Amino acid sequence: MNAFNRRNKMGYSNVKDVEKWMETMPADVKVGFERIKRMTDVLTNEPEPEVGQTPKEVIWTKNKAKLYRYQPAIKKTNSVPILMIYALINKPYILDLTPGNSLIEHLTNQGHDVYLLDWGTAGYEDRYMKLDDYILDYIPRAVKKVLQTSEAKEISLLGYCMGGTMTSIFAALHPELPIRNLVFMTSPFDFSDAGLYTNWLDKRYFNLNKLVDTLGMIPHNMIDYGNKLLNPIANFYGPYVSLADRADNEEFVNNWKLMQKWLNDGIPFPGEAYRQWIGEFYQENKLINDELYVRGQKVELSKITANLLNIAGKHDVIASPNQVEPLNAKVSSKDKTFHLTDTGHVSVVVGRRAINHTYPLIDKWLAEHSTD
Amino acid sequence: MWKNIYDQTEANWNDAIQESLKQESFSKGMGETLNHYLQYQELTKETTESYLKQVNIPTRGELADVASLVINLEGKLDDLDDKFDEELSKLDATKEISQLRKSVSNLEKKLDKVLEALEVIGKEKPVGTVKEEKKV
Repeated sequence: MNAFNRRNKMGYSNVKDVEKWMETMPADVKVGFERIKRMTDVLTNEPEPEVGQTPKEVIWTKNKAKLYRYQPAIKKTNSVPILMIYALINKPYILDLTPGNSLIEHLTNQGHDVYLLDWGTAGYEDRYMKLDDYILDYIPRAVKKVLQTSEAKEISLLGYCMGGTMTSIFAALHPELPIRNLVFMTSPFDFSDAGLYTNWLDKRYFNLNKLVDTLGMIPHNMIDYGNKLLNPIANFYGPYVSLADRADNEEFVNNWKLMQKWLNDGIPFPGEAYRQWIGEFYQENKLINDELYVRGQKVELSKITANLLNIAGKHDVIASPNQVEPLNAKVSSKDKTFHLTDTGHVSVVVGRRAINHTYPLIDKWLAEHSTD
Repeated sequence: MWKNIYDQTEANWNDAIQESLKQESFSKGMGETLNHYLQYQELTKETTESYLKQVNIPTRGELADVASLVINLEGKLDDLDDKFDEELSKLDATKEISQLRKSVSNLEKKLDKVLEALEVIGKEKPVGTVKEEKKV
């Protein structure tokens, strides 16, 4: 390293030689070289981008879970607070990725009082945590804290992906709570046809119990590998091909870095909750058929009466529209909307389409459904 | 140019790959691979745990048990905190209601006194006298 620095100070390095040589090359070769140089920098030298920058305060914690209130200093013009409930897969900062590309920032700037229940990173000691515990011990307490903090009489709940499925179970089990609105983003409810997952998680071949008993916690890599295998070339190689192709576009590179950080920043899934999620949902499809019991209580989606906005992504292969839409037929809500966006599972919440379409859609719907 | 080659290759291969991913034989093969991996993991886990016990070092499970004790304790604190909040809110409401009652009854008493005073004034002084006094 020292020798390298000394050589640089003396004005001599291989890199400089190559750069000088490149100056004599045709324009398209030069552009190609610059892109490869930038791509190498992105993959090796550059620090990870900052995420989750919207100001927030912690108002309650339990085990690893934290309940955040966003931008408490901003005046709240919507009197019904929104509690976002995240999935047990990956981290929730996808809802607050970066300034200008953040659902949370957008909603708080529009005067909504936004809270987020972040489950945190489960440890080996949490391997016996069941969905029952999250749904019946954590969410009700979080709802109570939100109502207390905001001094509101009613609440809106927003669930993303699996967080939406959990939220629907919670709402069905608590018809007595003042839940005014429910917003679900790409949340699966009907697992009768979950695409390739239905084949791969077939009871005859997928040894679920052995997996949970052996590992205790299901590592993020295993879940991530399954997701990527849905479209292997595009998911394993596609990102690098796109980076090499557009490394000279600063905006693209920044977004690429943010997405890659989130995708690779996964968390382990508590074993018992995983056993339920795969067994009772993917393998037995109990929720939509009123066969699911949570801590002995029967879950009937028809008990949901809150206003409903159910959003699906046309290109979503993780929770395809046919898994999302059937909820609307089950609930008893008088005001219910199924909305199909031209996005995928993640692009429903980040990126240009999300900024231009999903954010205003949710903001407008919540504002309209929060006044008497 | 190479991007076009990639795009075309992906488009051509994608259908074939998707077809093979749908096959039952693929699910079966994936299940078998998982079983082998789990057998290896189980063996490693058992060997490691028996070694750690021999050399008197706590295993991952034992350390996690300690963490569970702390989590349970925190859970109890959270329950207490919740109950405390509930009781406090009840107390506050009762206090407020009794304060309101007091101030309403005080107001009533004051109003009664004002009415009594007005009646006395009305009886003692005729209307004309009052007007003359005002002019002075």
